[in-house]
Amino acid sequence: MDTPTVPYERAFIFSAAIRIFHWLRALAILVLVITGFYIAWPFLVAPSSSDVLVQGWIRFAHIVFGFVLCAITVVRAYLFFFAKSDIERRSFKDVTSIKSWIVQLKSYLWMGHLDKKGVYGPLQFVTYLVISLIAALICITGLVLYANVYHLGLGGLMWEPAAWITAQMGGLAQVRIWHHYFTWVFVIFVVIHVYMAVWTGIRFKHNSVDSIVSGYDYHPKKH
Amino acid sequence: MDTHAALYQQGQARLKMLRSLSPRHAHSLQSKMEEHGISRRDFMKWSAAVTAMLALPLPFSTLVAEAAELADRVPLIWLHMAECTGCSESLVRADTPNLDSLIFDHVSLEYHETLMAAAGWQAEENLEHALEAYKGNYLLAVEGAIPTANNGAYLTVGCKGHTGLHIVKHAAEGAAAIISVGTCAAFGGVQAAAPNPTGAKGVDQVVNKTVVNLGGCPPSEKNIVGTLMYFIMFGQLPALDMFNRPKWAYGARVHDNCERRGRFDAGEFVEEFGDSGAKEGFCLYKVGCKGPYTYNNCPTERFNHHTSWPVLAGHGCMGCSEPNFWDDMADFEKPLGRQLLHGLDATADTVGAVILGATAIGIGAHAVASVFANSKED
Repeated sequence: MDTPTVPYERAFIFSAAIRIFHWLRALAILVLVITGFYIAWPFLVAPSSSDVLVQGWIRFAHIVFGFVLCAITVVRAYLFFFAKSDIERRSFKDVTSIKSWIVQLKSYLWMGHLDKKGVYGPLQFVTYLVISLIAALICITGLVLYANVYHLGLGGLMWEPAAWITAQMGGLAQVRIWHHYFTWVFVIFVVIHVYMAVWTGIRFKHNSVDSIVSGYDYHPKKH
Repeated sequence: MDTHAALYQQGQARLKMLRSLSPRHAHSLQSKMEEHGISRRDFMKWSAAVTAMLALPLPFSTLVAEAAELADRVPLIWLHMAECTGCSESLVRADTPNLDSLIFDHVSLEYHETLMAAAGWQAEENLEHALEAYKGNYLLAVEGAIPTANNGAYLTVGCKGHTGLHIVKHAAEGAAAIISVGTCAAFGGVQAAAPNPTGAKGVDQVVNKTVVNLGGCPPSEKNIVGTLMYFIMFGQLPALDMFNRPKWAYGARVHDNCERRGRFDAGEFVEEFGDSGAKEGFCLYKVGCKGPYTYNNCPTERFNHHTSWPVLAGHGCMGCSEPNFWDDMADFEKPLGRQLLHGLDATADTVGAVILGATAIGIGAHAVASVFANSKED
């Protein structure tokens, strides 16, 4: 048998920590968006008995996954700066290069290859940076709302900074409505993110979507 | 109990000092109570209730009772700015004069435009005299927002044509303490709603002294009298929250102590006014209750002699005691998430859904184009 084979390369790009946090965060966002929209507009019908705390349990899930998102947001920021592999940090070089921006934007419009120094392109990097900042803001507003509702324990510990932020934002209603606006950023991001992950995999023959599961990227060897 | 003991001693010293001053009224509080048919027993109950409301231990009720009797030693100057007098009404329009309105009558009220007999030059002279005679000692209560645009020209009061801004700044200079009564004086209120052509502001934004903000449109008579009593008793202001509201009154959200809170947790909501849920007393969140974002003691203290309050009457809280409530809490009969955004006349969810739809169309177009795009990859 002498079939011509295209030489493929296997590269380890996502550590186990990155992958686990990615999927935990995906789960947290899914649960938080659904329960969050319920809290904003309780769309389920009333239970047959007042003993079934429908709103209470949904709020409980929202709080649990809210703290999961808070924890991941912090750990993920730490990992970006201090992980052993610099594959994420390397991408910052592309962000500061105008040429890299042009190359990436052209590649999205079917012209030319992706050419990246790290694991992310410049537009991708900036998008993730913005999403991380919005995640931090939705976590902070969420914690402020939490501290305003649960006054003891952890809420009590956070009370002073929460009260300060509430005052800076002009009241609890503002904290609450910004928390709501930020939700939409995630909803729209997820749709674009999934599409781009699938599309770049097909377009550039990368193991794109599976790499966040297996950690490995397979792509044709460069000649 | 050490801090309480110290506070008690402070109160005793303060009241001893007040007792040495001459009373302003010929009639004692006791004779006034008799005149209005209020028994000594009612007075003791009231003292205990005020003590509990101020979050003080029961022994302080003797101080409250004594402070009430000595209220005529504390000069109070009450100014009306850009307002509707609803806050004064909240206090004085009781169907039968109770102790709250009686204390307001008994306190040494030096100037109050609604209640005084004087008018014109005479009224002006009374104010000037009071500001001078009690300089550094009077309690200043302000009702209404302060228009600041065009140097405050949108509000001029009295025969001398002074602006409200001028009067408040002048009165604040010699005040021992300043209380903003109601949302307008505290945060600007309706007058400060967008686009706020008169530049209306709360008192604390035009004077550089600590101001106690008693939010509410109106605040309950309990919150006004409680703050007065605290100042009379201790000669200082109570512990304040992030918006300088007394913690004893504004320490918990309306939502926290709402009688319909159980309905909220159970997910039982009124869908529209007059439906079966409304008749059952379900939670008013979906018809716009802003109790979750509003700090006040309405559910526990209520209004008009503890008769009722908005949620008990079947309408959601409008958040009237919060800063910027007219803009922030609109629409009053929709939850915050369904608020129409200014200038867009659409909710955040509509805007989000439109952007999401545009994103989906963009993705679809890109995907279709990708099928036809000439792949140069190998």
